[in-house]
Amino acid sequence: MSFISPLALLGLIFVPAVVAMYLLKLRRDEAVVPSTLLWQRLVADVEANAPWQRLRRSLLLLLQILLVLILAALAARPFLERPAGLARDLVLVVDISASMAATDVAPDRLTEAKRLALEALRELPAGGKVSVIAAGRTARVVVNATSDLGRVRAAVENLRVSPASGDLGDALNLADALAARSGDAEILVATDAALATKPTTRLEHEITVLEVGRDRKNQAIVALAVRQGPSGVTRSVFVSIANLDIEPSQRQLQLYGDGVLLEARDVVLDPQTRSEAIIDDIPVDVEVVEVRLEAESGLEGAADALALDDRAWAVVPPTAPKNILLVSEGDPYLENALLFLPNVNVFEVAPDRYPGDAIRTDGTDWDLIIFDGEVPDELLPGAVMAIAPARTSILGEVVGTLKDPGIATLDPDEPVLRYVDLSTTHIGSAKELVLPTWARTIIPGPNGAPLLYAGELDGRRAAVLAFQPRQSDLPLQVAFPILVANLTGELMGGSAAPTEAVAPGDPVSLPLPSGASALRVTRPDGSVVELVAGTGGGASVSFSQTDLLGVYSAVPVFPEATPTPGPTTTPSNGPSAATSASPSPSISPAASAGGSPTPGPTAPPVDPNAPRRFAVDLFDPAESNIAPGSASEIEALGGGGATPAPSGSGAPTQTPSPGPTGSLEASGGAGGSGAGSAGDRPAARDELWVPIVLIALAFLLAEWIVYQRDAVTRLWRGARSRLGRGETAAAPRQGRGT
Amino acid sequence: MAMDGQAGSPLPGAAGPPAEPTGRGRARPAFLPSDLDPTVFDEGFLRQLERLQVLMRAPVRGGLKGGRRSVKRGQSVEFADFRDYTLGDDLRQLDWNVLARLEKLFIKLYVEEEDVTIHFLLDASASMESGHPSKLLFAKRAAAALGYIGLASEDRVAITSLGGRAGRRQVALRGSGRVFRLLSALSGIAAADGPTDLMAAARHAAAQLTGRGVIVLLSDLLDPNADRVIRELAATGSELIILHLLSPQELDPALEGDLRLIDVESGDGIDVTVDLATLDGYKTRLEAWRESFADLAARRRATYVPLSTSVPLTDLVFAELRRRQVVG
Repeated sequence: MSFISPLALLGLIFVPAVVAMYLLKLRRDEAVVPSTLLWQRLVADVEANAPWQRLRRSLLLLLQILLVLILAALAARPFLERPAGLARDLVLVVDISASMAATDVAPDRLTEAKRLALEALRELPAGGKVSVIAAGRTARVVVNATSDLGRVRAAVENLRVSPASGDLGDALNLADALAARSGDAEILVATDAALATKPTTRLEHEITVLEVGRDRKNQAIVALAVRQGPSGVTRSVFVSIANLDIEPSQRQLQLYGDGVLLEARDVVLDPQTRSEAIIDDIPVDVEVVEVRLEAESGLEGAADALALDDRAWAVVPPTAPKNILLVSEGDPYLENALLFLPNVNVFEVAPDRYPGDAIRTDGTDWDLIIFDGEVPDELLPGAVMAIAPARTSILGEVVGTLKDPGIATLDPDEPVLRYVDLSTTHIGSAKELVLPTWARTIIPGPNGAPLLYAGELDGRRAAVLAFQPRQSDLPLQVAFPILVANLTGELMGGSAAPTEAVAPGDPVSLPLPSGASALRVTRPDGSVVELVAGTGGGASVSFSQTDLLGVYSAVPVFPEATPTPGPTTTPSNGPSAATSASPSPSISPAASAGGSPTPGPTAPPVDPNAPRRFAVDLFDPAESNIAPGSASEIEALGGGGATPAPSGSGAPTQTPSPGPTGSLEASGGAGGSGAGSAGDRPAARDELWVPIVLIALAFLLAEWIVYQRDAVTRLWRGARSRLGRGETAAAPRQGRGT
Repeated sequence: MAMDGQAGSPLPGAAGPPAEPTGRGRARPAFLPSDLDPTVFDEGFLRQLERLQVLMRAPVRGGLKGGRRSVKRGQSVEFADFRDYTLGDDLRQLDWNVLARLEKLFIKLYVEEEDVTIHFLLDASASMESGHPSKLLFAKRAAAALGYIGLASEDRVAITSLGGRAGRRQVALRGSGRVFRLLSALSGIAAADGPTDLMAAARHAAAQLTGRGVIVLLSDLLDPNADRVIRELAATGSELIILHLLSPQELDPALEGDLRLIDVESGDGIDVTVDLATLDGYKTRLEAWRESFADLAARRRATYVPLSTSVPLTDLVFAELRRRQVVG
C-alpha cells in the first residue's frame, strides 16, 4: 500500500495532542456536597484520579486516537497497485445505435454497456487517458484524451440512445485515428454487435469488445405508406412488419389517425419474415397516420425487446388536384364520368390540335392524357390511356375489329375491377388488340384478345380500352363511373405517393415561404426549434435535428409588421397563376372539379403557410435486428496483422462474452502491435478511501455511543423499569430497623 | 390541650426568632417559630400525637412520677402483685377484701409509674444544612413531633444540639403545656459554621445525661467516627434511637461529568469523574454504609431508622416510626 500524498501523515501529530488534552484536562466544575466521605471511599476504590489509570480505562480516548489515525490515513490517500489491464491511452467506443435501446438486459443494453465500460475503466493504469466516442448514426467524440475519470464517467453516463442505424465502422476508424496519437493505445468497444453495417476496415490497434445483449426477440415496423385507393376517394395504409425473432409471434397492429384509434387487428408473424398489412378506408381528413405494434390483445407488458421500432408515423400528403387531358372529338359519356371524379381538372382538346396546344404553360406535366381514337406517335409526359385506338401505336398493336365481343372470366382480385360489375355489359364492337408484354389484362375478351389492359410502359403508366364506351351499354350501367374512377386512379396513382419518411438524423430541406423570416419546427417531444432563413434569402432551410422518431411540424414565422400573405395574393404565386390561366385559347376547360376556384392547367396553389409536416421513422430492418452479433469478429479487426477470427459469428445463439475482465484477459494474449509497450505501463491504482471513510464513520458512531453510553443505559433502565413497574409496585418495602 | 389556652403567654427564655408583629397578636401564636410549618402542628395533628408514646423496650428508672412503668413498685392504679404484710407497712395498702374473706393480711402492690427523659441529640453540623428540604429542618420537625409525644405522655424532653465539639443542652421540659417552649428551643438551633466533631460533641452531650432514658439521635452520620458515636451512646444505658437523615440529593446525586466535590464542612475538594458507573458505585456504597449502621444498631440493641428528608412528617410519625415501634 502506498500513499498519494504521504505528507498528510503529518496529521498523526494530533495523536499525542489528543493524549495531552486528556492528561491536561484539569478544569473541573465545582460542586458543593454535604460531605465527601462517601465519595472518598468510592474514589479510593476505583483510583480514578490517577491519570494513567484513567487513560487505561478511557475507551473514548482510545477511539479518538484511532479516529485521528484513520483521518490521517484518509488524507494521505492510500492506494493499492495492481497490474493495469488496459493500455495507457484508451479509446472507448460506446454504441448508441437504436438496437442498444433493447431491454433484453435490464434495464437496457446501453445502460449495461455503460456499466461494463465504467467497470472496465478501473483497469486503466494510473494517469491513463481516455477518449470516448459515441457511435450513433455518425461517430462523435464526446471526451477527448482526458485523465479526468470523473469527466469520462459523466460523459458516459450522459450518453443516450440515438434512434438511428448505427455505423460502427466510422467510429472504429475514428477511434483508430485517435489511438494513433499514442504509443500504447487500445480501443474498447461497448456494443451489442448487432450491426446494421458490418465494419470491415482493419485497424492498427487492439480492440476489446464489451458485449451486451442476449436476446433477439423483436418485431419491427419496417415500412409504412399511405396510398390513395384506385378510385381516388379512399386511402389505404400499407404496413410492412418484420419479425426478426426466430420464433413466431403474435402482435396487435393498431392504426391511429390523428391520434384516434381507427383499427386494431391481431397479426401473426412468422419468424424471420416480413408481413404486409393493408388497412383500407382511412378517412379523407386524416392528416397523420400512426401505426403501433402492441402486445397481443389481453397481454400486458412489452412484447419485444426493442420498443423504438414498434411505432411508425406517416404524413398523408395534401392531395393536389389532378389534371386530365382528354384528346377527343367529344364523348359526353366519358366526359361526364371524368367530371364526377373528385379532385380532378379535366381539359379537352381536339385531336388535330394535339400536341401543339396541349403543352402546359406552367411547366408541369399532365397527370393523365386520354386519347379517344387516334394515338399520336409523340406522347407528352404523363400517364396515357387510349380508347379504341384506330391503329397500331406504341401502346399496342391493333389487329382488327371484334364484333359483339364477349367478356371472358374476370380476375376477382383485379383492383381496377373492384366494385365493377360487368356481368350485364354488352359491347357492340371493339378493336382486336394484342396484349403487349408490359401490360396485364384487366378485361379479357374473346380468344385472348384483351378488352382492357394496363401496365407500365417505359416508366409511364398506360392503359388501353379496346372499345368506345358509346359502342357498348357500359355507360348506361353503374359500373362505368366506377371503372373510370378505378382506372384513372390506377393510372394517376403514382403522383399521390406519400412523402418519404425521413431517416433519423438525416437533414430535411424545408421550403421557406416568401416573406417568412424563420421556420418554427416543433419536434415530437414538444421542443421547438426556430430556423432562421439565411441572409441570402434562400427559399429553403435545412433542418437536421431529426434525431427523434415521430412527426415534426414546421410553421413559417413572419415578421410582425408584414401582413400574412394569402395564398392567392402572394406575388410569387401571381405570375404563375397568370400564365397558367389560359395556356391556349383552344384549350377549353371542360369543367372544374375539386372545388378549385381558379381552374387551370397548373396545380392550384397549396397554402404555403400551412404547417408542413414530415415523419421521421426508423424503417431499418438491419437495425431492428437486435440479435447480438459476433464480438470476436469486431475484435479480429484490431491488432493490425492479426488474421480475422474464423467464421461462425453469425450464429444467433452465441453466448455473450463472460464479462469485461474475461474478455480483457482473452484479448491480452492476442494483442497485436499495440501491446508492444505494454510492459512500460504504470500500474492501476485502487484508492482505498471508501473503506477508510466507512471505518471512520463506524468509529465516529462508536465514539458517540461510548460518549452517550450513560444516556443509553438510562434509557434502557427507564424502559426496563417501566416494563417491570407492576412487579416492583407489588413488592413490599424493605425494612431496615431492628 | 388547646393551643388557644397558651396563646397569650409567651414563655421567657424562648430562643426563637422574634415574632413578627401582627395587628391581631392574640389571634396568632406569635411565638410559634416561623421556620416550623404551623400547619404541621395543627390541633388535629397534635391530638394524634397525644395518643402516641415514645416506646421503650424495658421499664426504666426515672425521677418524678410519670406516665411510664417503673421498675419500682409504688402508688398507682395499676395492680402488680400481693405480698404478706410486715410490720411498718402502710395500712392503706392492705387488701381489705382478702382480709375479710381469708382473714390474712396481704399488701397490694402497684406498679410505680415514673417519668423518663427523652434526649433529642440534634446533629447541627454544617452538612445538616444541605438538602431540600434541609436535613436540619427535617430533624427539627421530627424532634418537635416526637418531643410533643413525649410531653403529652408526661415524659421529660431534653433537646441537645451537637455542633462544633460540644453538645449544647437547649432545654429540658416536662408537661404538655411546654410544647411551645420546645418549639422555640428547636427553632433556635442553627447549624455550626465550621467542622463538627460529632464524636466529641456526642461525648459531651452524653456526659450531661442523668439516668437512663431514651436517646434519639437525629443525624446524617456523615462523620468518619459515626459508628463510634453510636457505640458510645448505646453504652450509656439509655435506649438509643437513631434517625439517620439523608436528603434525596444524597441518596441519588444528580451529578455528572468531571467534577471537583467540595466538602461543605471542611472545604476539602476531591476530583471525581461522575458517570453512570460511578453513580452506581456510589449508591452501592451508600447502601452498604447504611447497612453497616443497621448492623451496628442491631448489635447494640439500638433502633436504626434510615430516612429520606423527602418523607412527609405525618408519614414519618404515624407510619415509619410506628412501624419501627419507636412510637406506639
